[in-house]
Amino acid sequence: MEVLKISKDDFRSFVQKKIENSDQRTIGVVKKGSHFAYADLESVEDMQMDYNVTMLPPKKYFQPPKEILLKFKPKDASSYVAVNQCDKIALIGVHYYDLASLFLMDKAFSDGERDEHYMKKRENSVMVGMYPTKYFKYRFAKSVLRDQAYKVADIMLVDMGDDYVVEVVSEKGREYIDGGNFVENKYSLLEIDEAKNKIKDDQRIPVPIELIPEYLVKNHGHKVWEDFGNKCFSCGSCVLVCPTCYCFDVSEEVELSLQNGTRVRTWDGCMLEDFAVCGDGHNFRKEKGARFRHRMFRKGKGLPEKFHSFGCVGCGRCAYSCASDIAGPVKILKYMEDNK
Amino acid sequence: MGAKPKVAFFDFASCEGCQLQIANLEEEVIGLAELVDIVEFREILTGKAPEYDIAFIEGAITRDVDEKKIKDIRSRSKVLVALGQCAVSGGIPRLKNNNPSLDNVKKMVYGDKYNMPHLDTYPTKAVNEVVKVDLYLPGCPINNKEFLRFVKEISLGIMPKLPNYPVCVECKLKENECLFDLGQICLGPLARAGCDAICPSNGVPCEACRGTVDNPNKNAMHEILEKYNYTVEEIKRKINIFGVDPEVKK
Repeated sequence: MEVLKISKDDFRSFVQKKIENSDQRTIGVVKKGSHFAYADLESVEDMQMDYNVTMLPPKKYFQPPKEILLKFKPKDASSYVAVNQCDKIALIGVHYYDLASLFLMDKAFSDGERDEHYMKKRENSVMVGMYPTKYFKYRFAKSVLRDQAYKVADIMLVDMGDDYVVEVVSEKGREYIDGGNFVENKYSLLEIDEAKNKIKDDQRIPVPIELIPEYLVKNHGHKVWEDFGNKCFSCGSCVLVCPTCYCFDVSEEVELSLQNGTRVRTWDGCMLEDFAVCGDGHNFRKEKGARFRHRMFRKGKGLPEKFHSFGCVGCGRCAYSCASDIAGPVKILKYMEDNK
Repeated sequence: MGAKPKVAFFDFASCEGCQLQIANLEEEVIGLAELVDIVEFREILTGKAPEYDIAFIEGAITRDVDEKKIKDIRSRSKVLVALGQCAVSGGIPRLKNNNPSLDNVKKMVYGDKYNMPHLDTYPTKAVNEVVKVDLYLPGCPINNKEFLRFVKEISLGIMPKLPNYPVCVECKLKENECLFDLGQICLGPLARAGCDAICPSNGVPCEACRGTVDNPNKNAMHEILEKYNYTVEEIKRKINIFGVDPEVKK
């Protein structure tokens, strides 16, 4: 892997040029009130490289909250036409845990029947990753991740103070930096490693991730599910902000004329009360505790067994967004450990 | 339902703001008029019809004369829809029921003129306390896009359904800052979505004007409000604005 460097000023000029000249949308992190969000950059002035976490993960660009899948005419069964809005995009400043989440999402959307709506958008994207420069109270990514981020990143940036060290991970990344003032790296491996690990996580997952599938099975009847479930609003915040949650609902919408319709898919989530309601009205996860348990089993058992990678990247968004403060996997597992 | 459903609008105790939301559809009103036959709608046209495929009822029931009228409408309607929160639950007009004396309520509002005969009303009832209601379109005011969805689905023979998830979902999809994070108390975690989180999107906490989801977790809400040092009375007053049952297990 080639390692270069660029001064922060030069990097900002590089991004500004991309915004102005490219046929590609340039997406970065911007301020939204007192929080941060990914958004199309109109000027590099808006770009925040020093942020704790974004409200929504980058999945919103690959699996939009609401997406048209096809158009049809309600009275003509053969009239459907697939719609796939996928611009060329570059995402800048994506933290390593969010890159790791896309590693899982890519697997989920390409396993078996390939999902063109998701995969085309991913293929049309360039991912400029980075190591976080700001502490986030709920983050525990270090204790659940290995090197998944490098399977998604095209470029990784490491903040060295005045410069970024630039790791060119893929050929796509190599092409993307063409024309910028990227020069030979002068930093030692030790210095780079220190910079990568400068921001510590306070939280750690209390059970080794390899053991979690078995641990969950053993604790299927643990009181945590009911105790925490009782405090759950079933508001879905934890799963909607989750970078590895990809469940969706599909429905049809018709225009007022009833002549034209669209099939849309929207984000859905297993923590919502009606998620598991079947056609005949039966809900096979009617109780809050059952839904609460299901979510942890998905992350800790289902996904790891299917994709050989822990289903949670430790971003801490679920813990932060939960009004009742019960959603964080660290808190759940600690409670289980404390109440054996 | 034949070619074009005959649709009528009626109002009882309300501000008529929900019908105004329909009038506010502007060019889409024309599309609506092509889809259905609007036979009575006092806010935008004159005319009467003997019967209706769909009757939209705005407002709460507060007088005997209203009760007679709504029963008559019901008897001439195939589908009756409660339009807006006053019709659905009693809404704002129901607030007076919290006061043990309706005379006191009148005095508070109208001063020494409180005894005028047209102010004579009984405790507010939701429409379904008087006649059978087939469908509910909640909100204060209604979401006019949801109204259009209802009309389309009824026309297509589909039973319209309301979202059974809280407003938090819509805030998350819009990537709104959570008002709890900003130190405000929001009823979003209990409230039925479908409004596209219009209030929180504009920095205003949710007051659950569409009522709650089917199984709101009031105990959890109670804990959160206590955490933020709200008194039980304040909680009840807040939750009670739109007739949401404030009872929490203590």
